[in-house]
Amino acid sequence: MRVMDTEIAEMIEVAEACVKCRCGCCKDECPMYSEILEETMSPKGRNALIRALATGVLDPDERAVRIAYSCLLCRRDEFSCTAHLKNAGATEAFRKYLVDKGLPLLPGHAMMVKSLENYGNPWQEPKTARKKWARDLKDRRVVPGKTETLFYVGCTFALDRSLQEGPRALAHLMELAGERFGLLLDDEVCCGSTVKRLGHAKLFEKLRKENEKRLRETGVKLIVTGCSGCYKTLKQDYPGLNKDIEILHSTEYLSELLTSGKLKLKNTPIKATYHDPCHLGRYSEVYEAPRSILRSIPGLKLTEMKSNREKARCCGGGAGVKTAYPDISEKVAIRRVIEGEKTGADVLVTTCPFCVQTLRAAAQNIGSKMEVLELSVLLDRAAVDKVGAT
Amino acid sequence: MLEHEVHEAVKKELITVLGGSKVLWKKSDILPYTKDTYRIRFEDEYKYFPDFVVLPESTSEVQDIVRIAASRKIPLIPKGGGSNRTGMLVPIYGGIVIDTIKMNKVIDVNVPNLYVTVQPGITLKDLEDRLAEQKLWLTQEQGSLKMATVGGSISTSGFSRRNQKYGTIADRVMSLEVVLADGSALRTGPKVLYTSTGYRLHQLFIAAEGTLGIITEATLRVEPLPEAREVVLAFYSDFWAANDAAQKLMASGVGFTGAEAYEADDMDELGAPKGLKALLYVMLDGTKGEVEAQVDCVKKIVADTAGVLSDHDVALSFLELYAEQWCGARALTGFEDVITCYIPMEHMREFYDKLWNDIGPKHGIEALPGEKFGLDVGRYRMVGGRYWLPKGEHAWEKYQKVLREIAMLATSLGGSVQSCHGVGIEHRDNLDLEYSEVALEIMRRIKKTLDPDSIMNPGKKLPERKG
Repeated sequence: MRVMDTEIAEMIEVAEACVKCRCGCCKDECPMYSEILEETMSPKGRNALIRALATGVLDPDERAVRIAYSCLLCRRDEFSCTAHLKNAGATEAFRKYLVDKGLPLLPGHAMMVKSLENYGNPWQEPKTARKKWARDLKDRRVVPGKTETLFYVGCTFALDRSLQEGPRALAHLMELAGERFGLLLDDEVCCGSTVKRLGHAKLFEKLRKENEKRLRETGVKLIVTGCSGCYKTLKQDYPGLNKDIEILHSTEYLSELLTSGKLKLKNTPIKATYHDPCHLGRYSEVYEAPRSILRSIPGLKLTEMKSNREKARCCGGGAGVKTAYPDISEKVAIRRVIEGEKTGADVLVTTCPFCVQTLRAAAQNIGSKMEVLELSVLLDRAAVDKVGAT
Repeated sequence: MLEHEVHEAVKKELITVLGGSKVLWKKSDILPYTKDTYRIRFEDEYKYFPDFVVLPESTSEVQDIVRIAASRKIPLIPKGGGSNRTGMLVPIYGGIVIDTIKMNKVIDVNVPNLYVTVQPGITLKDLEDRLAEQKLWLTQEQGSLKMATVGGSISTSGFSRRNQKYGTIADRVMSLEVVLADGSALRTGPKVLYTSTGYRLHQLFIAAEGTLGIITEATLRVEPLPEAREVVLAFYSDFWAANDAAQKLMASGVGFTGAEAYEADDMDELGAPKGLKALLYVMLDGTKGEVEAQVDCVKKIVADTAGVLSDHDVALSFLELYAEQWCGARALTGFEDVITCYIPMEHMREFYDKLWNDIGPKHGIEALPGEKFGLDVGRYRMVGGRYWLPKGEHAWEKYQKVLREIAMLATSLGGSVQSCHGVGIEHRDNLDLEYSEVALEIMRRIKKTLDPDSIMNPGKKLPERKG
């Protein structure tokens, strides 16, 4: 008998524990359950299903697949669950369990997987498209053995034109600060976050190995990621990489640049609120760095949303939900935008391409006057172009 | 379960009136509706699937569902947040679970007359949030407030830890709309707090557990948000010392909002001096001056009873944890049950002595650490305790004996088997200890009058006739 996969064993453990309790505390503030209002679409409901499938009471079917992908993996529920059960981990493993059992992925997800197999990104863009955002940056290709800092851009920032201002702003800030850094450009490959969250373990392993080899071959000492998903994945799902290469999210990195005085900021009188991306916040516990950046901008008034930090509501854009449940994803995002509006902010700042994409679309849909901005973009606007200039 | 042909016909009818998205029947979808948080017999774990789960949004949709069910005598199980602990939501005869969770609208907030009319599926937490926008509150705070709904709370006559000043949900109900077993919608009376006309029909549906009809609208008394709120937390050498302080608090005439005394095992985390094993917390609210004066009175009682006051910040954060600790992390503690009997104050010591020194060892039940003694201080008189269920051979039968003996003890002392969780399946067969056969027969007749075919949550609440 095959030794049971650790993730699957943990999934069953979580489901068993949850079924003993069944309190439903997880439903409180669960962004998906709040919109769908079906028990099945809550962590409690999924755990019940996991247990029934694992014990052979039910057989997996296409409905189980829909249920498995009804979770944003945002981990908000873990802060409502008295036992702090790792429900998101269980759901991620549940997806893997279904994929391993040969259940077909949902069509949109299958398309993303196909794209990753063919192009190394989930967005069906040719490999060469990955360097377009950086066409104005000269001589930034990583030189193995020489470049010490790698700016790992990530698929979504690099390939979604509406988001490319993010990496451009970050690169500009690094230049302003006089930082020496390199890019992989069209050699950059997806970190595998998308397929990992979708439960496609084999493809993730393939991407991880390929990517890790490439990253190690560059000889860099520091990787800076703009994307919260890439950050979480490289740091937590690439065993050992973090020990050999320091991995920082752009907000941690920029916060250090500000502290060391390498960036100067001008008066920027705006009211802002900050949305914690799940991968940066709950998964990585980076709450303070983005806030310290915002607080360092002269004239900026930061007001927290009602739910923030570990209890922040998810944007609704992650873990394949936007593809599987576009209407619900939009409702989740609108709810978050409304929460942002209640602070009276001119700008909702966040620092993950999915959050920017999803919240910006929601703000547009409801005609919100609040701008949704990536943090690097806001900081770049506030930065003084030359150190010491006014 | 319904026969295939009937199932298909009912499905078609339900989809016709509700639309496809509000009717669930696939096993993957209806699995979480097979039980609530009741400790179902292990071998019955996956026995009770409903035939359908429906998610109506309006009274008329509920009426349509009831008519479809009534025409074929199909059981109906109304559901709120799903947190019931006595099996009230288990579809023991299959049928249609009516999940009211999408009936979550606030219909009217009447500020001058201090009442709110809501659909039953709104959670207590969401309702409080909505009322706070108008500087009002329902005043109800039970551990499960995040998921418990108004309809569910009324149907179990749920607890509120602010009961001393504001009563429980049962005291808040002014009028109800209820869909009866024939599909008609009953308005129980005018939306007034006091009237001397008619029978007070709404009282019939409080704690009825959905056995008489389905609540589709509730008008509830609300209060202005208080200007000030405070909590006093004090530590005592043991539960009985805290209990003495509680008695003095009761006798003092201080108009406290609610208070609780219990034995705890996490006192170090609260900054309690070593060796102290129990605590008493007292909640106060009102105008600023009023609360300040009350706090002084309570602190004096604490000083007079050798209590040790906690830091104020600790007391405030302690209070916030309440709702987060409701389930008691049962996922970690395993199979346990909770005691929530109503016991007259003068018999409390006798109750606990017999519970832990007699019933406990006899049937192999053991209290969870720090969960042996608990008391809701005030008129409510709910005693608390949590115990691990008996294990080993005939564990279920032993558990049933434990329930019976606790019920016998509570009722012999002039109390009640259950103060706030309802009867469901768990306590159904022990009701004869609390009510005479005459009283039970009257209840059966009421049930028969309102629900002649017994389609409203059958098998719950009332015991079968003897013989």
